[in-house]
Formats: sequence, C-alpha cells, structure tokens
Amino acid sequence: MSDESANPTETETDGGETVSGGTGTTSLSGIRTRWERVRERESTVIVLTIVGVALFPYLLARAPVVSDLLQGYQELASLILVWGIFAIGFDLLLGRTGLLSFGHAAIWGGGAYAAGWLSANVVQSPLLIVGIAVLFAVVLSVVLGVLSLRRGGIYFAILTLAFAQMIYYMASAPLAFITGGDNGLTGVEIGPLLGSFDLGSELPSIAGTLLGTWRYAFIAAALVVSVAVIHRILNSPYGIVFRAINENERRAEFVGFDVRRYKLAAFVLSGTFAGLGGALFTVHGEYVPLSSLYWTTSGEVVIMTVLGGVGSLLGPLIGAGIYLWVEYIVSGGYPFDWIGPYWHLVLGLIFVTVVVLFPQGVWGLVEDGRAWITTRLEDR
Amino acid sequence: MALLETRGLVKRFNGLTATDDVDIAIEEGERVSVIGPNGAGKTTLINLITRMLDPTEGDIVFQGESITNDAPYEVVQQGISKSFQTASIFPELTVEENAEIAALGAEHGSFRLNFLCHRNRYSAVDDGTKRTLEAVDLWGQREVPAADLPYGDKRRLEIGIALASEPDLLLMDEPTAGMSPEETNATVSLIEDVKEELGLTLVLVEHDMEIVFEVSDRIIVLNRGRVIAEGTPEEIQGDPDVQEAYLGGVEL
Repeated sequence: MSDESANPTETETDGGETVSGGTGTTSLSGIRTRWERVRERESTVIVLTIVGVALFPYLLARAPVVSDLLQGYQELASLILVWGIFAIGFDLLLGRTGLLSFGHAAIWGGGAYAAGWLSANVVQSPLLIVGIAVLFAVVLSVVLGVLSLRRGGIYFAILTLAFAQMIYYMASAPLAFITGGDNGLTGVEIGPLLGSFDLGSELPSIAGTLLGTWRYAFIAAALVVSVAVIHRILNSPYGIVFRAINENERRAEFVGFDVRRYKLAAFVLSGTFAGLGGALFTVHGEYVPLSSLYWTTSGEVVIMTVLGGVGSLLGPLIGAGIYLWVEYIVSGGYPFDWIGPYWHLVLGLIFVTVVVLFPQGVWGLVEDGRAWITTRLEDR
Repeated sequence: MALLETRGLVKRFNGLTATDDVDIAIEEGERVSVIGPNGAGKTTLINLITRMLDPTEGDIVFQGESITNDAPYEVVQQGISKSFQTASIFPELTVEENAEIAALGAEHGSFRLNFLCHRNRYSAVDDGTKRTLEAVDLWGQREVPAADLPYGDKRRLEIGIALASEPDLLLMDEPTAGMSPEETNATVSLIEDVKEELGLTLVLVEHDMEIVFEVSDRIIVLNRGRVIAEGTPEEIQGDPDVQEAYLGGVEL
C-alpha cells in the first residue's frame, strides 16, 4: 500500500472494501476520513452539484416554508446559476492564480453579444449559439490576455479595465449598427433545444416540480459541466502551477515554468467561463443590455467571488446567489417595505461584514463551522 | 569541454561595474566555490548565469550552447537550477506540494496543454517528489504547510526544490546563511550526500570559509568584479593576493 499512498483516490477505488473493513472499528474519525476522501472524488462533486441544482429552484420558488422565507422565483434561480458560472470561472484567475482582472465584463458582454447577434441573424439552436459564443469569448480572452499580461499587479488590473472600457465605448456608438448601442441588442430569438423542447415550457412531472423550465435545465446542465471541468482543472497540473504562481511567482519561474503562458492560460480559461455565462445570460433574458459590457459588471463578479470565498470551488456560486438575491428580492422591499431603495447599502453591509469577519468568504465560514463541529464530535 | 563557461562576462549598473570580464569554466562533476568580499560581484555572477540579469557584454555557454538570450525558465529546463539565499518556497502549500511543483516542472517542461488531465496520472512526478523529499530528509513532514517549518527545514526544502528540478548544475547562494551550527553541519552533509548520490556539479557562493574549504574541489576568488585567483583550497589558502584582498591580510 505504501507505494500508492501518494494516490489516495486510486487506492480508494481499487481497495474500497478492504479500507471499509479496516476503518469500521474506528467509528467517527474513520467515517470522517472516509467521507473526506469520497468528497474529494470527482464523481462525488458532480453528483452533489446535480443534486444541488435539481433542488435549488424548488427550494427558492416552490417549496413550502423555505420559498416563503426566500421569496424567490424561477427566473431568479436561472440567473443565479448564470452568474455563478461567471464567478466560479473568474475565481480560477482571482483565487487560484492571484490575478485581479477588472475587465471581465468585456468577455462576459462579448459572449452575450455574440450569442444575441447569432440568434438574431444566424442560428436559433441554443446549443449552437452558446458553443459559437464561447469560441468567440476564447478568442477575445486570448487577445485581452496577451495585451494585459504584459504588466503585473495593479497595472494588470488597470489595463484590463482600460481595454474593457474601450470595448464598451466601441459597442455604445461606433458599432451601434451591430450592438444596438444604448438600447441594447433586441430581436434575440432563442429556438427550441435540440429542435423540439421550447425553453420556456415546463419540464414533465417531477422534473417540472423540481427544475421548472427547460431553460433552467439547460443552464443547470451548463453549470454542472462547468463545475466538473473546473474541478478537473484544479486537480490537473494547472491547479498546482496556478497556486505556485499565486504564492511565489519568481520561484515558479525558477523551477522551469513559463509563467506568462500559464497566466495567459488562467486568463483564457476564466474567460471561457465568462463567455459561457454571458451567452447563457442572453439565452436567459433574450436581450443584451449595453451595461453587460460596462465596468460595473466586472466589479460585480469581483464582489460575488470575494463574498462567496476566493479559492473555493463553489464559494463564488454562493456569492452570486447572495448578491442577486439582494439585488432582486431585497430591492423589491423584502423583508421590510422601506428597505427597497437601500438594497445597495444592504449589499455593502453584507460585503463589509463578511470581508472583515470571514476573510475566506461565506464558504470559509461554512468550512470553519464544519471543522468546529467535527472537532467537537471527535472530542467526545 | 566544460559544462558551464562564461566568456568575457561584463555587467554594469549605471557606470558601476559589478562583474568585469569574468571568464570561468566549470567542469562536469566539480564542486566549485565562488568567494570574495562583499560587493565582489558573486551574486551578480550567479544572477547572470540564471538569466535573472542581462549581461552588458559577454557570453554564457552551457553544455556547448549559448544561454545568453534564454529566459530564466528556459535555463532551468536546460539543467541549471538555483537554491536561493533566502528560502524561496511556496509557503501555503505543503512540503510535498512544494517538491511536487518542482518535479512537475522537470517532468513536463515549461508549458503543456494538459489542464484536463488528472494529476494522479503522473506517477513519475510522484516518484520525483518522494525521492527529493527523502534526500533532504523532509518526507516525514510532507503534509506540513511549508510556512510552518522551522527555519533550517525551510532552507533544506529550498534546496529540495532546487534538486527536484533535476539539474545538471546546481547553484547554491549561501546555503548556510543564518543557520545554527547544527543546521550548518546538517546542510554540509546534505551537500556531500547530494554530490555523492546524484553526481551533480555544484557551484557554491558562500561566506563561511570552513564550509568552503571542506566541500570544494576548486575555489574561484572574486574581487571588485574580477577573478583574482583560482585553485584548490590549499592553493587559495596560501595565495597572498587573496589574503590581501579578501581577508585583509589576516592569517588563516
């Protein structure tokens, strides 16, 4: 066994039965280590994500008690997942590689406009629209990345911001004949999924109760794929190289890595998910507002990621959920009628509280809580 | 043919000449120490070889090929590795991950498009990691975050990272600076072991004369950017120029 100890996942799958026989006697701590190994496994992450996205719209919009408390609705569930994809991809760059981009609005908006333009002029199949828009976002990310990564630290952030704002102004006037300028891109028409399932219609039977519409199912599938791919990236050589660059860039170069290309890879990978999110934003809203390219969009994804927890796989998704819940539910006057106009303030207070008290974000709070409970259990 | 050669290497910083026409040759399997008073240009020389600095004039040749225009990571990939004077480690990663990164750099080259391949498929990297950590005697602490190691262990991890890059030539910048006598002894025997087991060529920049005379086959003495003497420890010990320049005339 000792040769395999560097490979816990494989040992687990190969010798699962013998391991369970051995740990059966050591009760709680044994169960815990076993669970931790299972939890790290790729299939577990995927299954848990599927369960999560299947229950989410039901809990938010239809379940008794919980949905009354949350005041959510179906479309909000889709929107949270769309932004969630953007945020978990963004964290590859911010949380893992340690690069703060302030220009991801360009890629998100680029994906959104590409999808909108395609649907209005070329194809209506949601899969094709999203696929091509993602390719467009990848190309855009390569260009922005190559230009911005010439400088590090704050200069990188400023360069990304500058390029993104340039694209915003291009879209607002000179390219208005394509983008619709200040009015945004209208005439978006998303066709049925695989030629037969209208995105706006309800899913049959139990799936309808849980997931709601085909549109949500489509977006949820994209989220599951995104989580699976990002989980794989984090467990590939890239995961550890990104962390190495984050912690000690010079040393990473002096063990032989082409740091600039890895940074570009991180930028393009995060841009891919930004583009996917943007394209799904169009599929979700069937309209592309000009503000999707504006710098505040870049700011929003930073806030979502930091709020949820940088450097955690699912934290940014939670951050997106909190942000959008405040933006859409609290702003509507919930839980108090008078609070509506102050939703920005509420968001600010939540943000400041989390950042000051839990620097690792909401996800960090969850982790701390779990660690506290397990130590308590083991002390018994 | 020498493993590493510098030819007429000059580095000027705004009129200050840090290295002045330095020609050195390191043979394969040698242990060479570079010594000299503060400001003699030792660190500049190392930084020129690792390509952290661009030379003003001259050429650096490694294994018969010029590396003067290579990027630092390319130099590492060709087989020159450096251990830093201050432990330059990845503090929040575990000891094992620290070594794994270096082993990955050696196995995979400077860049690869393998972001969808799971790390557990690369057993050669795991072997390299384990071998290195056993060599620097840190395998038992592999799950400890590197930042939590005591100072001496951090320095040994630093050397481990340099070794895990599987170099042909290892440059060590004051490997025992700031260490306690026990840690210094442990590091010296580590250097000896590494030399024996891996057949590395070593270039050592060091202040501690005891160590220099103990581990070196040959010593190069720099003063004001120039090579003023070169020879076996015995020859250097008896060289009047060296005593004058470096030791201020004090008898060793």
